[in-house]
Amino acid sequence: MARPLTIVGAMLFILGAIASLMGVAYFLAALLPSAGRLVQIVILMLVFVMVIASLLTIAERKWSAMMQDRIGPNRARIDLPILRDSALMGVPHLAADALKMLFKEDFVPKAANGFLFNLAPILAFGPVFALFAIVPVGPSVRVLDRVVPMVIATPDFGVLFLFAIASLAVYGTSLAGWSSNNKLALLGGVRAASQMISYEVALGLSLVGMMVAFSTVQLPELIDGQARYLWLFSPRFDLGLPAWGIFLQPVGFVLFFTAAFAETKRTPFDLPEGDSEIIGYFVEYSGMKFGMFMISEFIEVVVLSAVSTAIFFGGYHLPIGEGWLARRGLIANHPWILGVILSTVFWIKVVVLCWLQLAIRWTFPRFRYDQVQALGWKMLLPLGLLNVFISGALVLWDPSLRALAVVGLLEIGIVAALTVRGEGHPSKIDSPAGSSPSVPALTGASTTGHD
Amino acid sequence: MAYDASRNPSQDVRERIYLPELLRGLAVTTRHFLRNLFGQRDTNASVLNRKGRSLVTTVQYPEERVAYPPGYRGLHRLVPREDGKPRCVACYMCATVCPAQCIYIEAGEYDPADSSAASRVIEKFPTTFVIDELRCIVCGLCVEACPKDAIRMDTATHAPSEYTRQGFVYDIPKLLNGPPVSHSSDPWKRRESSEAPEHQALEPHTRIGET
Repeated sequence: MARPLTIVGAMLFILGAIASLMGVAYFLAALLPSAGRLVQIVILMLVFVMVIASLLTIAERKWSAMMQDRIGPNRARIDLPILRDSALMGVPHLAADALKMLFKEDFVPKAANGFLFNLAPILAFGPVFALFAIVPVGPSVRVLDRVVPMVIATPDFGVLFLFAIASLAVYGTSLAGWSSNNKLALLGGVRAASQMISYEVALGLSLVGMMVAFSTVQLPELIDGQARYLWLFSPRFDLGLPAWGIFLQPVGFVLFFTAAFAETKRTPFDLPEGDSEIIGYFVEYSGMKFGMFMISEFIEVVVLSAVSTAIFFGGYHLPIGEGWLARRGLIANHPWILGVILSTVFWIKVVVLCWLQLAIRWTFPRFRYDQVQALGWKMLLPLGLLNVFISGALVLWDPSLRALAVVGLLEIGIVAALTVRGEGHPSKIDSPAGSSPSVPALTGASTTGHD
Repeated sequence: MAYDASRNPSQDVRERIYLPELLRGLAVTTRHFLRNLFGQRDTNASVLNRKGRSLVTTVQYPEERVAYPPGYRGLHRLVPREDGKPRCVACYMCATVCPAQCIYIEAGEYDPADSSAASRVIEKFPTTFVIDELRCIVCGLCVEACPKDAIRMDTATHAPSEYTRQGFVYDIPKLLNGPPVSHSSDPWKRRESSEAPEHQALEPHTRIGET
């Protein structure tokens, strides 16, 4: 039982760290009203996003090892007295990797365009970082008699900022590919440009359904819209089905997730990198410049998770029982406690979605280049258009969004039924009587292993 | 969940939609992840006998080692007698048979005038016994050739690390280790302090047909 306890203990430690940091963020922003935005930039972007992204570099190695029945990196150790030379689940490798990158030679090819070559990593790094500015992390609550919002910026154009800045990130990769003066790098840069332009279209269309449903493009309003319940079963304990985007727009979520995944240039869509064929747009980069490309990829993962959480998973809201929690005496008197709890919930959702992205990256084989383009233009784009029309019609017909939710739940049900039903065989062969065979649940589908 | 090769993926609705098959793949990955995350890893070096939920089959080499098979030829050792001296009688058989010529022996003679127990039953002993482990080809012929069971390759260690080439030249103090061995036919047993019966002290071939 030692290991499960260790894992749960580590999870609780991380939760405690997140909660206390968010508490610090709320109080610092309340104490320094003139520098409140700066506090949020430092704590939300530089601490949370940066730390999660850099931990994801080690998590990718460790989690992929667990998915593939390996152990993963555990050799870098810091001999601290209490820890007794423990591997700390591989975390010290982070320091080893960073030190290695910092001390590597910063190589610039002779034929490269020096200025653009140095500019490209910054251009790849900056926009993905800026994307996070519009994501609300926690609710606006009163701390020390001052209302503290937990979002860096709330521009009127909201989600459109996301599209605008996300498409800027392609400059970094294209310039890196071109300025390296290397055929393979150029090929990678061109692939990145065409892939990202293709998926911009689907990315934009996928969110239109949510914008129509809540008639806003601003993330705080989208999140507050998802806080209410479609069907409330128990008003006392706040049990019900929340109006989360995943229930209203499952197709929109799949489209958004796919398109945004393609934007991160990670494995099912890693044509610009293409480790096995061309090394990709960063083939000539070494040291920390390559590190910036790599870390910007992981920041993109975090930001994509944060945006998906905000738009499709109710942002910082709990699925059930939030109103009940807010009415407790202690929390009603000290609303910052609610703020800390809800923003911790937000980061939990973000980390779970990050895990989902890594799981997808380590489950699926990469697409061929024509398959990537065919998926973008022939599947996602028509599906996105169809989704916009159907969602629009349903919202027009029933502004309470219940019709939209029924259709959404139906879509989820169909996919779930197709996923769970049958073990890869048509049920006709399996059961001559025509009754569907008793199929073990998805999680227990093959306890025999070797799959 | 064996894959049915007769199934045409292009006619299967789940394959065409792609999302259900994608989710099933994710379920496999997730199951492995959770089992390896929460399952205590069994460190049993024989991987097939591992118990528990974890599916990891890694043997982390320096800390965990797979047991060597019985016939494995590892580093040599000189087998000690019960009194801690080597069983070797400096007969030069191993040095003669060695195809790599990596064994060098210098023999010494027990003083006939000495009244100690060993000198009355054994004539010779090695004053120098050196094996150059870098030249050794690990063929095991020395073990086969030894008439006294004095050299063995059962240490189950291989490729020891040294800083210099000279370090690989193993002499008696480095070679002499492991549990002592004695056979009933050992002449050494014929010394006065030995309590073994007289007939057991004979060489085995002299006892053939003796009944």
